[in-house]
Amino acid sequence: MNSEEHSALSGQPVDQATHFEIERFLVREARALDEERYHDWLDNMVAKDVIYQLPTQEVRYRRDRKTIGNAQTTYLYNDNYDVLAMRVARFDTGFLWAEDPPMRIRRYITNIDAQWADEEGEVDVWSNFIVYRSRAQRDNVSTHGRRRDRLRKTDGQWQLASRVITLEQRVIMDKNVHCFF
Amino acid sequence: MKPLDQLVQQEGAIQDRSIYWDNDVYQAEMEHIFARCWLFLTHDSIIPEKGDYQVTTMGEDNVIVARQADGSLKAFLNSCTHRGNFVCFSEAGNTRSFVCPYHGWSFGIDGSLQDVPLEKQAYHQEIDKTALGLRQIRVASYKGLIFGTFDESAPPLEKYLGGMAWYLDSFLDVPGGIELIGPPMKSTLECNWKNPSENFIGDGYHVGWAHASALEIAGGSLASMKGLNEYDKNSGLQISLPEGHGFGAIWECVAALHPGPPGVAYQQWVDQRSPAVKEIVGEQREKFYRAHWNATIFPNCSFLYGTNTFKVWQPRGPHSIEVTTWTMVEKEMPKELKDMIHADNMLTFGTAGILESDDGENFENCTNSNRGHSTRQGTVYLGMGQGHERQEAGLPGIVSDGWVNETSTRGMYRRWAEMMSGKSWDNLSTTADLENNQ
Ligand code: FES
Ligand SMILES: [Fe+2]
Repeated sequence: MNSEEHSALSGQPVDQATHFEIERFLVREARALDEERYHDWLDNMVAKDVIYQLPTQEVRYRRDRKTIGNAQTTYLYNDNYDVLAMRVARFDTGFLWAEDPPMRIRRYITNIDAQWADEEGEVDVWSNFIVYRSRAQRDNVSTHGRRRDRLRKTDGQWQLASRVITLEQRVIMDKNVHCFF
Repeated sequence: MKPLDQLVQQEGAIQDRSIYWDNDVYQAEMEHIFARCWLFLTHDSIIPEKGDYQVTTMGEDNVIVARQADGSLKAFLNSCTHRGNFVCFSEAGNTRSFVCPYHGWSFGIDGSLQDVPLEKQAYHQEIDKTALGLRQIRVASYKGLIFGTFDESAPPLEKYLGGMAWYLDSFLDVPGGIELIGPPMKSTLECNWKNPSENFIGDGYHVGWAHASALEIAGGSLASMKGLNEYDKNSGLQISLPEGHGFGAIWECVAALHPGPPGVAYQQWVDQRSPAVKEIVGEQREKFYRAHWNATIFPNCSFLYGTNTFKVWQPRGPHSIEVTTWTMVEKEMPKELKDMIHADNMLTFGTAGILESDDGENFENCTNSNRGHSTRQGTVYLGMGQGHERQEAGLPGIVSDGWVNETSTRGMYRRWAEMMSGKSWDNLSTTADLENNQ
């Protein structure tokens, strides 16, 4: 495809074959994370220039969106590849008491909608998720949200180039969101 | 509820476990502590302009703090005086009025009742609007930190802070002062509010153990604490104020939890500011300016100066809290440095933070073990360093060597017991009394 053809596609839904690949990618990614294969995830599914973000959202009146005082976007995650790698390295220390015994995490990825991005070989993908975490005996929490991903095909493999996560809860009803979405 | 001298024993070294679980204790805390103390609301930097407001809670009471036309502050209950509905559902904003969605009563930014629909036709123009304003709450600011109290008899805020104010000035009196960056993160912990308050006021002990994994990957000057093998008791101290506040300080460690370039930039900033700070607050407090602090302003406002996380633990029943987290920075820092500190705070003590997640588990489990009836008949122990405290000329309060200590934690529980006894403010301990009795 030349760049002219590409720009005409930008914003258009991806074709069926591409959609299938993307869906498979997201499902495989979720399974890698569920199975705590964090290095597999980082090495094979995440681009080196990734931006991984989870901004908080204020609860404000529709008519009053004005920024007050010195407010700015507060990110629970605002990680590049190195920071993600640091979080992963923490799992390897053997000192992460909260994860031993291990948590059980299941990720459900739904409502996948993909369209060609403005960059060639890239797609914008929206998906909704439920992440169910179970710790110890009966500490069970489900967190719901949405992701807007930018995926990029490099050497025939899709990779995560950026992810912006939205959680619907303003007050997070869990002790932390220290898990990858 | 058991008698108070059983709930806290041996000068704060023993706590009865029921204080972390029983509902009658919790309800008494709401009455004797949360309805009386000065509680942290917000910071000047968050609501600077006329009509700016923030909604928060004091105990479990929902309140609005609003900037008035003359620059002053007012705080009032977020509950309509007609039938009780909330009058504001946004967490912050800028407005000219708060209009109740139930029957449309409208209140000004000072909380006064302005308009009542059908005032003439239905109320026969007889309603006394002046008597139906939102309930006012005393509000005061200490160098930008805004607090409120429900207690008309509470001493002025500065007196309530007691000896803590002198220490706080080590960083509040820097040129330009400090600011808090929001909007805050908000999350929940299924723990009693005292578990995190005691952790921040004086649990230096857990740092090397609970946070071993974070210290291992982040490195920095505290990494040697990992596994609790090494520790020099001259590396810091703990301070306990009779007003219940307290902190631990680690010398020359202000940027210890900012590894990498942000830590270097922050340390440079502190080094460059130190001479001016010394000029303003003196040599002793310049040392505090350059230290890392873990602190609590009694009862539920905690911060780590240096790491610059600033938190309020809002009680939500005996076994539940809401955590509100801002980032604390010096106002005159360059924007890039503020951003780096803000990002580091999210990474360490944010809701997805690599240290926060260790703490949350511990706080919850220290509360939840007391679910068991027989477990709850027992006590827990805070005896570290007891008998080694001292008073020191020029340092308000009780001083103890070593930031791994439980001096400030015992002080928090002494104050807790004192307040729970329902004593009047005149009969509660103060830093001034401690100094006079020396
Ligand atoms: S309850 Fe607010 S106007 Fe009636
Ligand atoms: Fe901690």
